[in-house]
Amino acid sequence: MLLNQPQVAPARYAALIKAAEAAARAIPPAFPLSATVAVNPFLGQTGEDFATAAARLARVAGVPLTRSRQDYAAKIASGEITVEDLSAALAASASALKPKDLAALKARLATPEAAPVALPTVAALAADATGTDWPALVERCFGLWAAGHFDRGQALWSPAPGRSAFSAWRDWAVHDLTPEIAGLKGFCAHVADAPDTPERAILRAADSLGIGEAAAETLFHRLLSDLGGWAQHARWLLWEAELGEATDTTITDLLAIRLIFEEALLAHVPAIAERWQQIVAAHAAPVAATPDQVADAILQDAADRAHQRRLAAQLTGMAGATARPAVQAAFCIDVRSEVYRRALESLSPEIATIGFAGFFGLPLAHRPHGTDEVAKHLPVLLKPAMFTCSHVSPEDEATSRIGARATRAWGRFRQAAVSSFAFVEASGPLYGAKLVKDALGFGEAPKQNPRPRIDGGLTAEAKAATGAAVLKAMSMTEGHARLVLLFGHGAKVTNNPHESAYHCGACGGQTGEVSARILADLLNDPETRAGLPAHGIILPEDTVFVAGLHETTTDTITLYRDMELGGHVADLVRAEAWLSEATRITRAERAKRLPRAHAETIAQRALDWAELRPEWGLAGCAAFIAAPRAVTATTDLGGRAFLHSYDWEADEGFATLELILTAPVVVASWISLQYYGSSVAPDMFGGGNKLIHNVVGGFGVVQGNGGVLRTGLPWQAVHDGESLAHEPLRLTVMIDAPQEAITAILDKHAGVRQLFDNGWLHLLRLENGKVAGRYRPGLAWEGATPLRSAA
Amino acid sequence: MSTFIPFVQFAPLVLLGAAAFALVRPGRRPGAYPAFAEAAALAALGLALASLIQLLVLGQRVTAVGAGPALLALRLDAVSATMTVLVGFVGWIVVRYARSYLDGEEQEGRFHGLMLATLAAVLLLVQSGSLVVLAASFVAVGAGLRRLLMFYGERAEARRAATKFALVWFGGDVLLVLAAALLWVGFGTADLGAIGAAAKGGLPLSAHIAVALLVVVAALKTASFPLHGWITEVMEAPTPVSALLHAGIINAGGFLMIRLAELVQASSGGMAALVMLGGLTALFGAVVMLTQSAAKTALAWSTVSQMGFMLLQCGLGLWPLALLHIVAHSLYKAHAFLAAGGAVEAVASIRRPGPVAVPGGLAVARSFALAIVLYLAVASLFGLVSGHKSAQALALGAILVFGVAYLVAQGLADAAPRELTRRTALASLGAAVAYFGFHLISGAIWGPYLPAVPTAGPLEWALIILALLSFGLVAVAQALFPLWAHHPAAAGLRVHLANGLYLNAVLDRLIGGFRAAKAH
Repeated sequence: MLLNQPQVAPARYAALIKAAEAAARAIPPAFPLSATVAVNPFLGQTGEDFATAAARLARVAGVPLTRSRQDYAAKIASGEITVEDLSAALAASASALKPKDLAALKARLATPEAAPVALPTVAALAADATGTDWPALVERCFGLWAAGHFDRGQALWSPAPGRSAFSAWRDWAVHDLTPEIAGLKGFCAHVADAPDTPERAILRAADSLGIGEAAAETLFHRLLSDLGGWAQHARWLLWEAELGEATDTTITDLLAIRLIFEEALLAHVPAIAERWQQIVAAHAAPVAATPDQVADAILQDAADRAHQRRLAAQLTGMAGATARPAVQAAFCIDVRSEVYRRALESLSPEIATIGFAGFFGLPLAHRPHGTDEVAKHLPVLLKPAMFTCSHVSPEDEATSRIGARATRAWGRFRQAAVSSFAFVEASGPLYGAKLVKDALGFGEAPKQNPRPRIDGGLTAEAKAATGAAVLKAMSMTEGHARLVLLFGHGAKVTNNPHESAYHCGACGGQTGEVSARILADLLNDPETRAGLPAHGIILPEDTVFVAGLHETTTDTITLYRDMELGGHVADLVRAEAWLSEATRITRAERAKRLPRAHAETIAQRALDWAELRPEWGLAGCAAFIAAPRAVTATTDLGGRAFLHSYDWEADEGFATLELILTAPVVVASWISLQYYGSSVAPDMFGGGNKLIHNVVGGFGVVQGNGGVLRTGLPWQAVHDGESLAHEPLRLTVMIDAPQEAITAILDKHAGVRQLFDNGWLHLLRLENGKVAGRYRPGLAWEGATPLRSAA
Repeated sequence: MSTFIPFVQFAPLVLLGAAAFALVRPGRRPGAYPAFAEAAALAALGLALASLIQLLVLGQRVTAVGAGPALLALRLDAVSATMTVLVGFVGWIVVRYARSYLDGEEQEGRFHGLMLATLAAVLLLVQSGSLVVLAASFVAVGAGLRRLLMFYGERAEARRAATKFALVWFGGDVLLVLAAALLWVGFGTADLGAIGAAAKGGLPLSAHIAVALLVVVAALKTASFPLHGWITEVMEAPTPVSALLHAGIINAGGFLMIRLAELVQASSGGMAALVMLGGLTALFGAVVMLTQSAAKTALAWSTVSQMGFMLLQCGLGLWPLALLHIVAHSLYKAHAFLAAGGAVEAVASIRRPGPVAVPGGLAVARSFALAIVLYLAVASLFGLVSGHKSAQALALGAILVFGVAYLVAQGLADAAPRELTRRTALASLGAAVAYFGFHLISGAIWGPYLPAVPTAGPLEWALIILALLSFGLVAVAQALFPLWAHHPAAAGLRVHLANGLYLNAVLDRLIGGFRAAKAH
């Protein structure tokens, strides 16, 4: 035979490749920091229940999925979690391994949990055997390569573009002498001899490492977890590719690369072979929760129930309906809006507020002023369908781009070899003034972006149809005020690589400005207005829409006067007075939670280039309520609830409810679970320590010198130094809608249903503003009696 | 010489006093201590500025106690006043930054104390007037910085970085003490001013050896090739530490050379070593920097390179320019580190205006020609003011030309619109004018107090030509970069450079840096 055939049985080949694919899908995607959004770090585990996922992640990453028992015990001791909560959680657990009674559960609580330890890799075994820190070496070598490979423009000398990760790494690794210097003799030759496709490399490594089909999935998952954020970045590439109906193999490339290291290390330290085979055997065992993991899941459930009990006690029914308000203000459902909405409504009974996903249902892809780069302004689950830009006249557009290019040329002058010396001597002294300016926090005067518009415009029919769809989804079919304000939101922070994490998640990590302005324009458009009655919506003649941006760091509001206001000037002037008063009230409330803050210093914090906690973002988020505002209007929800306006009686065929359960609820679950993961498992799902962050490639951060890419929320975003600022709870979704309607939608959408069935979210039903039922796995419901009596 | 006491001499005491409070409040959220720390740093800056006025009004001053080898002396002169104001300024900025940045850290109070104490040691160092003060303050700076690098001592990487730093820094201190002893033997005085004056009359053998040791000390302290590895790893400490290190502490080696300029210049071998080591480090660091994708790591390599360039300037006898470089680089690098969180936005803004126009070979040739014309025009304009230029200064100007040519080339790319060409041309003119302007100013301020450029002999000429050729070669390669950087033949080169030619890995191997961290 002239050509080598792979010496692999087809069944084994298929099983191993399938395991590699499953391992890849077990990794959550991490979006680049330039436009990052919260991702559920357990995205790959939502198909299994919470305790089983805990067992899996303990095996592959060595992280817990719950808090320490000490934390739960403290909450029980303080009365925050009651015996009723514990009993209810214990009763609700369907596991055969659960403690037999409350006393047994309490006995578990009193024994400190054993910290989970991941099954070791070959590198870890080799380190134990030889004393050389092989995992650190792999992290260092891989990290240096990956930083360059995924670089989006930080280094002037990047690798040749267009290569697959696997072949690019091979080219790198046959030259990189570091492993050999560290003592891994012959590594370059080992790489040179490795198969030239990732699939074959995986197969060969599986053979030389003795990996059976049964062991492959969690073993591969273990290795990908070892690569931390790099694997998650690669998983994001796959996510993006699949959104565009393509595919991407980078993550399998990374697995193949990591396996090549394992192969080399096992050959280098043959003494560990026997121990390694025991590890492989451990991987082959099915993933199953231990009694401890089941008990911990019950304790977390009790904590969730304690929160639900307090929340249910706050929801006491509907506030009375009011006459036509003078101003309606629509905000993003983001929990930060709750504080501001409450403050605004407190100023006058003539003000009504509405909660809706901050992209206002418009699936935008936007090109800002001065660039042709397209930014997606919509939840990352969706594909853009509407193309917009903020470009100005061609001359002005050209001028601003040339300005940016000249700045860029100067930046390259600063960065390049040889010219960097001239740069320092010619302009270094001027940085003295910059240091003073930045140290004292003199921000630049804010510039308003040009008015965005839809590329090519829309037909009159499309305008009316889009406008009507959005208004219906917002439950705004009648009773419109004279002035309707549409607020997107965004953060104002300085010198913070995680800036986009504070922006609007529903707008893909951008601010909500473009979405709000496009919608206001659309709804003010006479063509839209003319067509709305045909869709069953009667907008009063005198209703005007004005867009604005809620800056969540400082709680200031910017209004965009994109249209002629005519007779509405007085309305807007009055609204502005209310808004600035609401800003004052909100800042005072916000300042209480932030370390070193006073209402007066909030604005300055946003400009402080050394401020690591400019705001708390969505920390604390714990509930999602889809109901008329009247249900929550009189309640202080403490900035912890997503509030989605929803009136089921106006929802024909429950289309809006379906939308809410499948889009905003899922986005909110991603956010809440990201905060959860970053709080309980910061080593794996947290962004690390901001004090030593080192931005890499313009898309992520590493800690200190390099190594693993860190994704998720930095420790400072969930912790105030003394205690967690985010109490890790699974999100409680509360829906004011008929039980059958909710059940029918869950039945239709398996992906959403499993979030509730497997304990990643809770679902409670509201009726007349009170909790009326609890969803149970398997499309079942139980009455709310336990909740009420406990309350 | 007048008999006043320079205020800045009290600055280290003020800082140490403030640092001592950390012993009482070492922990989290230590009340008003962070504000108090900033006030102390601001006071130190105020004292440095007050002494600058004293210097201008009352003249230079050496304050001394003790005698013989144990002489303790502090100097106030053009060099020390510049350095105290610079260090005081950067110190204030950094301590102010840490006020917000360290909020909520478990060892917040201790951090401020260590920063203030280290700052005090640096302020003492730059005022050194005698050998003992010089050596002792070097050791004190190292002790402070080592503790700061260990701020996250639970991280194995931090411990490795601190170990490596300590090895190089304190190794340098041992050599410094040896050099000091030799200088005492050679000149019979421990007064740095007296040593400088005596050196003008030629060097005894012990002093020749001392200069050789001092050059090695400077190389170690400035993270020169090949022992630069410690500085590219110290991002393990909070950002303000990096800023203080790269904008303050790293200058100590250059300061050492400038402080002892008369002595060093009296050894042509020492000067030649500085040119070669400095030039090599400058190019090496700059080229490695091109390959670094982590923002702070790239900045660290840039420091290696800039400090090399500064040593090159020392070696050429362009002392005022070396001091200018220290000042300019410190201000730039302090800002770059403290603002490193903006790297995500910086990269996004690079991408926004679309692809970069790539200059071809012809455009590069034209840009070099244009840059030379620009250089000649601006240089002769400034020449009318400042008079004759030495060969060394002209060579340095030529290196500027190479740099500016790169800027010009970007505007000359075929795809570049006219308006962009105009703007880069203006920026190039601005850079050339600023460059010569600052040179003129530095010569006027520090020139009278530092040795004049030596007349170039055959050795000097050889070194100048070597420097010009190597810098010119790298500059041309850089300008033509997009044409070859992605060629497969260059891929291996990129790997080796991204690894810093493995020098750090070899060092790790030698000192056990690859060993598994001990449990603790």
